[in-house]
Amino acid sequence: MVIKTFKVGLKYLLRRPYTRLVPDREGPLTSDRTRGRHVLDMSKCTGCSMCQKVCPADAIQMVKVEGPWPQNVKKIFPRIDYQRCTFCGMCVEACPFNALSMTNISGWYLITRDKKSTLYNPEKLSKVFETKEYRITMVKSLAEVQRLKKEGESNA
Amino acid sequence: MKEVIVMNEEIELFFGPQHPGAPGNVGFKLKLKGERVLDVELIPGFLHRGFEKMMENRWWEVNVVLSSRYCVEDPDNMELGYVLAVDDLYGVEVPEKANHVRTVVAEMSRIQSHLFWIMFMGAGLGARYIPSWAMAAREEILKWYDYLTGHRIYHHYMVPGGIRWNVPQDFNERTLHTLNTVSKIVRDIEEAFITNKIVRERTEGVGVVKGSIAVELGVSGPTLRAAGIPYDIRKADPYASYGKVSFEVPVGSRGDSYDRIKIRVKEIYESIKIIEQLLPKINYEDKAYRLQLPTIPPNGEGLGRVEAARGEHLVHVVNLRSRYPYRVRIRPPSMPLLTTVLKYIVSNEEVTIADFPVIVKSLDPCAPDIDR
Repeated sequence: MVIKTFKVGLKYLLRRPYTRLVPDREGPLTSDRTRGRHVLDMSKCTGCSMCQKVCPADAIQMVKVEGPWPQNVKKIFPRIDYQRCTFCGMCVEACPFNALSMTNISGWYLITRDKKSTLYNPEKLSKVFETKEYRITMVKSLAEVQRLKKEGESNA
Repeated sequence: MKEVIVMNEEIELFFGPQHPGAPGNVGFKLKLKGERVLDVELIPGFLHRGFEKMMENRWWEVNVVLSSRYCVEDPDNMELGYVLAVDDLYGVEVPEKANHVRTVVAEMSRIQSHLFWIMFMGAGLGARYIPSWAMAAREEILKWYDYLTGHRIYHHYMVPGGIRWNVPQDFNERTLHTLNTVSKIVRDIEEAFITNKIVRERTEGVGVVKGSIAVELGVSGPTLRAAGIPYDIRKADPYASYGKVSFEVPVGSRGDSYDRIKIRVKEIYESIKIIEQLLPKINYEDKAYRLQLPTIPPNGEGLGRVEAARGEHLVHVVNLRSRYPYRVRIRPPSMPLLTTVLKYIVSNEEVTIADFPVIVKSLDPCAPDIDR
């Protein structure tokens, strides 16, 4: 009875370890649908505050950004607090103008030592591609993200 | 000559929530005489977040995000319960594709929950090799969830009126691959753990709950089925696509801890069978997977009940013509397990302090489910 246990145990003993070395060898586990950091298209946002109303964790606040925004009369844009955000994706789904979208930047890429840097202003949210490691895939409006990505690459 | 001190008076011992033998974040106050447990009192409240009240301040569709959080191990059945209640309130029939995918996701959640429980049980019995195997199998399912829903633990994949996103084209192959890996590991666990002599000796005849008493104590789920009563809501009142598949409900005879272990492992195989039957039925060309519902549901009440991994999970919603629910009531499956059942077992048989973690873990309660 107990010998069986040893037999199966030996099989597992000879296998390679299942765990992975993070972050030394590999990045966080992500797939094409992983919900991660947001991207804001400021040329589309009308300041309707739907994302703020729908957010279950109360992570979004609307803040004023000066500039030429013909579509946004009140000049207010979402600011996301990543200490509160649960990455449920409700804001992306609720956005009627496809201005908010999500990337698969997640895991330890978002970890920081400075508490103040978890607050992402609209300007910081609209800048997407800080490193080349990120693979950008989207839950909603994939074409928009690809367009933004091209713009980001040409600017850099 | 050595002096032996025999304690003859009753003492009180606090057990948990920081104890490796405690089932999550709940505590117990044990009354002991020597080694024997005389009485047990549950100390809940470490995870109380007031979900029922929180839900009254959030929109109908947003509450799905909260509903998966009452039970970390089995989130999709909790979501399904809430979503079924809201569907009932709207009075809509969701598309067939959505029903199939909902069932597949819920069954995966059950497998994942039972694997997590095997980890607990192995650790409780001192079988240190079992937890790592079970967690490796669960990790495969979590990767599958990341692939389908975008998150590993809290998926938020179900919405009132269907599912949130369409399934990918390679869904069938990917799911079968995951199930293959999982069933191989579960077979190994069965061979090494269930038939193990030490496991049998420690669990057979411990924590007996017989059939008629289990009904009186308000138990449902695997604990009730281990007591010999084949009650399963998937059979008794089929929801989603359970009416269209054939599966068995494993039933025990003695109602002890060992029966509960056996039944949960059998349930994993049954869940795999259900998913394998449903996968060919999903039509990939079908674009109807989600109904567009009005933001304000009609007046009235809705009821949803599902067979979660731990038993019957019931959600009752009331609407008074508003974007916010008037009341959401949740009947959790874990509540009777740690209150009435545990008290009954302790008063009815000689439970020692070494048996206590085994009994508690074989009941498989979910601590956040009790507090909510």
